[in-house]
Amino acid sequence: MTSFIEGVGMVKVERHYEKGLFDLAAEAAFSAIDQAGGASGIDYIIASNALGEVQDEQLDLGGYLASELGLRGVRSLRVEAGEASGLAALAIANSLIESNMADRVLVVGVEKVTEFQSAKVYRHLQMLFNSNSRSFYNAGFAADAGLLTRVYLDTYDVDRELLSYWPALMHSNAKENPYAMLNFALKPDKVSKSQVMADPVTLLDTFPLGDGAAALVLSSKDSVNNPLAKVSAIESATGLGSMELSDDPLTIDSLTEAYRRLQNVTSFESVDVIELHDSFTIMGILTLETLGLAPKGKAPELIANGAFSINGRGPVVNPSGGLKARGHPIGATGVYQAAEVALQVAGRFPGLQVRGAKRGLAISMNGLGSNSYVALIEGVE
Amino acid sequence: MSMDLSISRHWRLRSPLYRLEGARCKACGRVHFPPKKACPYCGSRELEPVELPKRGRLISYTIVYAVPEGAREYSPVYVGLVDLGVTKVVAELTDVTDTSKLKRGLEVEAVLRRTRVDGEAGLIYYALKFRPSMGVPDV
Amino acid sequence: MPGPRAGIHGWGAYIPAYRLPLSEIAKVWGWHPEQYKGLAVEEKSVAGPDEDSTTMGYEAARNAIARAQVKPSDIQSVFFGTESKPYAVKPSATIIAQALGITPYTMASDLEFACRAASEGMRALSGMAASGLIKYGLVIGSDTAQANPGDVLEFTASSGAAAFVIGPEKGAAAIIEDSVTFVTDTPDFWRRAQEPYPLHGEGFTGEPAYFYHIEGAVKALFERTGLKPSDFKYAVFHQPNGKFPVKVGQDLGFTMDQVKDGLVTPMIGNTYNASALMGLARVLDRARPGDRILVAPFGSGAGSDAYSIVVTDTIESKKTLAPTVDQYLARKVVVDYSFYSKSRGIILTIK
Repeated sequence: MTSFIEGVGMVKVERHYEKGLFDLAAEAAFSAIDQAGGASGIDYIIASNALGEVQDEQLDLGGYLASELGLRGVRSLRVEAGEASGLAALAIANSLIESNMADRVLVVGVEKVTEFQSAKVYRHLQMLFNSNSRSFYNAGFAADAGLLTRVYLDTYDVDRELLSYWPALMHSNAKENPYAMLNFALKPDKVSKSQVMADPVTLLDTFPLGDGAAALVLSSKDSVNNPLAKVSAIESATGLGSMELSDDPLTIDSLTEAYRRLQNVTSFESVDVIELHDSFTIMGILTLETLGLAPKGKAPELIANGAFSINGRGPVVNPSGGLKARGHPIGATGVYQAAEVALQVAGRFPGLQVRGAKRGLAISMNGLGSNSYVALIEGVE
Repeated sequence: MSMDLSISRHWRLRSPLYRLEGARCKACGRVHFPPKKACPYCGSRELEPVELPKRGRLISYTIVYAVPEGAREYSPVYVGLVDLGVTKVVAELTDVTDTSKLKRGLEVEAVLRRTRVDGEAGLIYYALKFRPSMGVPDV
Repeated sequence: MPGPRAGIHGWGAYIPAYRLPLSEIAKVWGWHPEQYKGLAVEEKSVAGPDEDSTTMGYEAARNAIARAQVKPSDIQSVFFGTESKPYAVKPSATIIAQALGITPYTMASDLEFACRAASEGMRALSGMAASGLIKYGLVIGSDTAQANPGDVLEFTASSGAAAFVIGPEKGAAAIIEDSVTFVTDTPDFWRRAQEPYPLHGEGFTGEPAYFYHIEGAVKALFERTGLKPSDFKYAVFHQPNGKFPVKVGQDLGFTMDQVKDGLVTPMIGNTYNASALMGLARVLDRARPGDRILVAPFGSGAGSDAYSIVVTDTIESKKTLAPTVDQYLARKVVVDYSFYSKSRGIILTIK
């Protein structure tokens, strides 16, 4: 059973001081609705958002969004799974369609991360990790990536400089993407020299703080008119999400399981494009290695040699620029990823287009993998 | 007048925060910290409290400059992944006076320190942090 | 002393790692070296930003309990003597007791009498243990000593802690043979309730306060026990600087040899409630069975205690059960005035 993406909308990821939660959501949602031919028949709104309570003092975002979008009365829910909220929302929307509970669902991911000073936002982002373990300390949101990166470098005897090709590739891709927050090229040697977030992770290894919204209209087979793409399958799994509990922190346990579940539900040999969760360089590297797209300890070298780039070997990874350069409006990111892959397989991505792309994956997770989602999005003939 | 740090959240967790009390699963034998209501490995609810050793070795560390609100006076914040034998913990490191000593394998021991202070009038959170070992005994 | 006696079953100390050279203070506030050389102190210990009197007291107490070789739950009283409480109301004693597994069946309170509060606690515990009211008690002296920046007191006000487990005479590493307290209302040094720093009477803190009360207590002890200076191997005095304890020792008839091992102030400054008591801890780190020790803490306001303590055979097995005072003295890194001012919160910031 499949659902169809009929329209997508995205807002450029940016510090949108002049736009609030509802402003951003409306911009993305109206784009998606208009592209899908109008709002009639929308049964459900599934909103994804992680920090609405603490940034904008707003609960029941789903409920209020309905009236804010002129859809009063439409069934609505906000879904939260930390950084994986966006794909979690897509999973719920897809389930509603698969189970015949809905014919058309509006999925809207929206996030504000600029309502407060960054130091306060770092405290908010610390909540992405287990509260009993982290909230009594001052580790911030990048410490786990720092610890994990050091374990990676020690385990595989890899030079830190080799990791820097990842952010460089992300920036190179994002330059073409009008919705990306960071549109400038980046030389690898700049990465290790930039501001230290949590040694050895630097600012240029880390996603930027930016607001955003992305939306898509998901329709059932019977309701769809002009689909861009189809969601063939979407699966998820929870995991330990913790270096201290994990026996093998260099493998993202929940991603392994989510991917295995996806492979049970659908079969495919290779994908052409992947939008994956590089909140930090290390998460991008570990995602490739966990999925077996690169041998353990070898992903940085492969990236440095051009693999996964638009002209290189393997599926094209993060042609949007990824979380690193397109940006990461936390709860909204998964919807960006789904929209981007949908546009890729429809041949209509406004940035770097993967030629002939037919099948793509969107991969999102929270923290170190407390929750992982994988969606297979394919083109329609 | 406002209180930003919760009284009850810290108070409930005094045993893990002050004494490194974790949980041991009677079904599979594994230990985890901080304690959960069911074993994260096998799912069993048959758990018993266990105090972890207060000395271990660094597996990894990081030096945090992107410190969250309220932590400026402690910056940079040192954080370590510590192997205590029966399980691992992630905790702040303290008394790091010589960063060249920070490396995998460094012996570290747990001592009580301030972690968060709620302004001028609010609560002080204390918790165990790890520092390069001086041989302070466990009691 | 007639009747049952109490003894020290375990002792411990704690000194933070950081040391501020007095020359750094002089540079900032325009003091001439001759103005502080007379204090006979080189550096003072500075507590780090995540330390306070509670955290220091915790570690000294952990060392003392380890040496005492008792279960924390056997401790039935905790006295925390300090003049730098993190909370004016909310006992540090219960935080330490909880953290060390002593709670809930225990007495607990924080005491104030300037630098001798912990010593009062030690006297109280010795009576409680000797009478059998409690089996074991824990007394901690701990301070992050305050001084108005730019005042001469700033040269010596430092941070540290000392702790003792007091119990019955039987099994003790050192027996408290006798003790006496001598107090009067003498306002030589004080800190008003809402004020961050103390005021003091400069010269008035000397003869009418420190010397008068220590001599009063020690002479009273000599009189009731018949002991004289030559009966003691060690004499440990409250040490606000490196000169006063030497002078009062001399005035009372002690030699430099008896005084020197109990002196820590020249290396780390005046740790207030841990001052004389850390000197005692250092002496216990090296004392031999049969050694007699005089200890005379002093607290402004004012008063002094005098103890005669005799070491037993049990001491040898306990010395290495925890880090010694010398190990903490050796663990040091020199810092500057800016680290000290940030660490001790004397820079005006919005919290």
